[in-house]
Amino acid sequence: MGEEAVRRRIQELLAGGLATEVCPRADTPESVQGLIQRLREEAGEDLEARLVLAGFTLNPVLHGGIEQACETCMYYLVHRRWCELPELNLPVEPRWSCRLWRI
Amino acid sequence: MANLLWLQGGACSGNTMSFLNAEEPSACDLVTDFGINILWHPSLGMELGDNLQRLLRACVSGEIPLDIFVFEGTVVRGPDGTGAWNRFAGRPMKDWVAELAQAAQYVVAIGDCATWGGIPATAPNPTDSTGLQFLKRQKGGFLGADFRSKAGLPVINIPGCPAHPDWVTQILVAVATGRAADIRLDDFQRPKTFFASFTQTGCTRNMHFAYKVSATEFGQRKGCLFYDLGCRGPMTHSPCNRILWNRQSSKTRSGMPCLGCTEPEFPFFDLAPGTVFKTQTVMGVPKDLPEGVDKTGYIKLTVAAKAAAPKWAEEDIFVV
Ligand code: SF4
Ligand code: SF4
Ligand code: SF4
Repeated sequence: MGEEAVRRRIQELLAGGLATEVCPRADTPESVQGLIQRLREEAGEDLEARLVLAGFTLNPVLHGGIEQACETCMYYLVHRRWCELPELNLPVEPRWSCRLWRI
Repeated sequence: MANLLWLQGGACSGNTMSFLNAEEPSACDLVTDFGINILWHPSLGMELGDNLQRLLRACVSGEIPLDIFVFEGTVVRGPDGTGAWNRFAGRPMKDWVAELAQAAQYVVAIGDCATWGGIPATAPNPTDSTGLQFLKRQKGGFLGADFRSKAGLPVINIPGCPAHPDWVTQILVAVATGRAADIRLDDFQRPKTFFASFTQTGCTRNMHFAYKVSATEFGQRKGCLFYDLGCRGPMTHSPCNRILWNRQSSKTRSGMPCLGCTEPEFPFFDLAPGTVFKTQTVMGVPKDLPEGVDKTGYIKLTVAAKAAAPKWAEEDIFVV
């Protein structure tokens, strides 16, 4: 599947009600490491599992007074519209979000 | 001719190794071009046993004028304040240090151990080690906060683990050639000429720092090491990217994060075990921000930088 097709597939899954683990957000170094570990061990290449574990949403999540959107996240490539967190490595949209957001 | 004496306390000799590799000027240049007479040095000194004790006593008494006393390593005070765990030339090293510091025109601490205790003084500090005039961030150390050498200066601190060879030789030349008054010191008594700027100053990754492009692996040429790999370049005072190591490179240029080795908190910086080389975040924001930048400013800057990032910043511009 091409990048655009995967992006559309993610959009459909989320719009179709895929229940993702939006909270708790990965607020501490330990919780980040724990989630990364789970992504590696439990999700692997499985797209849906990655979306669920990372807590994907179609809109930014406001957390601790900060709007967490892909477009401001460290792992977001603006021009490619891509998440380069190695454990996700997925096409995304600027206004999506996940709980591994970091700036 | 300026007489220089170099002793070594609780240390790994790394600063001696560094010093012997100096290039601008070299250790030999100190003697041949700048009139420094090295009375004794752990790797270069010829005197041993009774002769060395006589030499040291002559420095303490003033019979041999001591212009520059260089100390490398911690002052070991254990056990129970006796200093017996680091004996040298017939007595605890700390007793020599106390007397020689009083006799010297200038006292220069080389490396983290001598400046603020470094690795040996890290909790639980089993040897009761301290730096000459600081213990970590706390002023005082072995000689006390009010210590001034005969020339009226506090200890000149040249930190680093180890210190860059040229930081050492350039300061020694300044002192030996009567330009000590030109050396301005910061709050930690580090020469400002080296330590007012940051490791980041001159780093080849600054473009990627600006556009928030991250390097995720050691040695990767694209990206900045701050965002994922815990680089302390933006908050560490050092000239590592202005005065290159081996005249060639620096940690950050070669893809290795700065560990902040010229700061008193080195080596741990309150990092949780197993988290070195991982940028620590709290609610998604780095725990340690570039010096002088607050959380709100950092977020604003990052949002703007991301939005403004050019396409090339996302690509690998380092092609063979
Ligand atoms: S890590 Fe960042 S860019 Fe990637 S999906 Fe999560 S919020 Fe978006
Ligand atoms: S690699 Fe380190 S020193 Fe270089 S620009 Fe990035 S944060 Fe600064
Ligand atoms: S780059 Fe950082 S850790 Fe390395 S020598 Fe310079 S100050 Fe020390």
